[in-house]
Amino acid sequence: MTDIFSTLAFYMSKPFVTNALIVGVLIALCSSLLGVTLVLKRYSFIGDGLSHVAFGAMAIAAVIRLTNDMPLVLTVTVVCAVLLLRMGKNAKIKGDAAVAMISVGALAVGYLLMNIFNTGSSNLSGDVCSTLFGSTSILTLSTFDVWMCVILSVLVVLFFVLFYNKIFSVTFDESFARATGQRAGLYNLLIAIVIAVIIVVSMQLVGSLLISALVIFPALSAMRVFKSFKSVTICAAVVSVFCALLGLLTSILAGTPVGSTIVAADIVVFMIFALIGAVTKRSA
Amino acid sequence: MKKFLCLIMISLLLLSLAACSDSGSTAPDTTEPAAEAVSDNGDTGSSADSDGVDVDLTAMSSTMVYSEVLNMQQKPEDYLGKTVKMAGPFNVTEIGENRYFACIIADATACCSTGIEFVLKGDYSYPDDYPEANTEITVVGTFNTYMEGTSKYLQLKDSVMEF
Repeated sequence: MTDIFSTLAFYMSKPFVTNALIVGVLIALCSSLLGVTLVLKRYSFIGDGLSHVAFGAMAIAAVIRLTNDMPLVLTVTVVCAVLLLRMGKNAKIKGDAAVAMISVGALAVGYLLMNIFNTGSSNLSGDVCSTLFGSTSILTLSTFDVWMCVILSVLVVLFFVLFYNKIFSVTFDESFARATGQRAGLYNLLIAIVIAVIIVVSMQLVGSLLISALVIFPALSAMRVFKSFKSVTICAAVVSVFCALLGLLTSILAGTPVGSTIVAADIVVFMIFALIGAVTKRSA
Repeated sequence: MKKFLCLIMISLLLLSLAACSDSGSTAPDTTEPAAEAVSDNGDTGSSADSDGVDVDLTAMSSTMVYSEVLNMQQKPEDYLGKTVKMAGPFNVTEIGENRYFACIIADATACCSTGIEFVLKGDYSYPDDYPEANTEITVVGTFNTYMEGTSKYLQLKDSVMEF
C-alpha cells in the first residue's frame, strides 16, 4: 500500500500528470452538469454524434494542415449542435435519425479524408485510434490546452449557475416555458453551444467514442437515488468528478487506457447506485 | 437516508480532492540495478535516483511510459542532458547509408507505439554486437536532440545497452 502511495506521489510530481488531473476534473464537472439536461430531454446520444462531427472537423484541419485545429473543430461542432437541437423538431429528418446520420457520416468522411489526403503522419491508424479512444492525450496536454480547458470550463459552469432556472424550465416543459414568455429558443441555442464546447474539450479525456459515457452515466447514476433536478445535478457532478479521478489515477498506476478506465469506473458506480436505488425504494 | 447518501457523496468528493493535493517528489525505488556505465554520464538532476537515472521509464506503468515519451517529443528542452533509462523491443532501421537503433515503446491502448533512438557509447559493430530485432533490451543514456534536414530528432547518446 505504501508503495502505491509513493509511486502515486512520484507520478503526481510530474507537471503533465497534474495538468491531466486538473483538466480531467473540469471536463468531468462540465459534462455532468449538462448531462442531466440531455438525458431528460432524450438527447443522450447527441454527445456521440457531436464527437464524431468533431472528429470529422479534426480530419479536415489535418488535411489543410492547421497548426491549431481548435477554432475550426469548435465552430463546426457548434453549428451541428445548433442544427440538431434547434432545428430538429421542424426538420424532415428528426431526432435520433438526424443524430445517427450526422454521427456516422462525419466519422466516415473524416477517416476517408485522412486516408485520401496524406496528413503527413506515419502512423495513421494510431492517430485515428488515439482520437477515437483518447489514448494518452489527456497526459500530453500543452499549456495552451490546459488554459483553454480552464477558461471554457469556467464559462460552462458560469452559464449553468446563471441560467439554472431557465435550463430547468426548458428541460422539463419547453411548451410551458414558451407559454410563460420565456425565450426557450434562445436557451436551447445556448445549451446547444455549451454542449458542443463540452464535447470538443472532452475528446481529450476519453476520446470521441466514449464521450457519451461521460455525459450520461453520472446523470443516470444520480437519477437512481435522487429525484429532484437540483439533487440529481449535484450528485451527478460529484459522481463524475470522483469517477474521472478514480479512472485517471487507476490508469496511470495500473497502465490501463485512460478513457476506458474512466468509463469502467462510471459503470461500476452506476451499478452501485442502481443497487442503492432499488434498496431505498423497497424500504420506503 | 437521503442525508446519509449526501454525506457519502461529499466524502467521496473530498477523498478525490485529497488525492490531487498529494504531490510529493519522491522517486520510486527501482528494483533492477542500473547499467554499469550510468554514473559516467554526468548529469544527475535533483530528481535523480541513487543510480544517477533522472527519468526511469522501466519503473513506470505503460500509460506513464508512453505519456512521458510523448512529452519528451513535445518538450525535448525539458529533458536535455538528463539520464534516461528505458526498456522495450529492439528495432533497427536503415535509411540510405544510415542505420538507426531504437527501443520501441507501446501505449496502453495497444494502437500506438513510438521509439527512442539510441547511440551506444564506445565502438560497436552491427550486427555482431547487437541483438536480433524485437529482443527485449534495456538502455541507459543521456537525452539529446539533433537536426537532420529540417526535422528535429530525439536520441539517447553515450548509451549502455543490456539484453
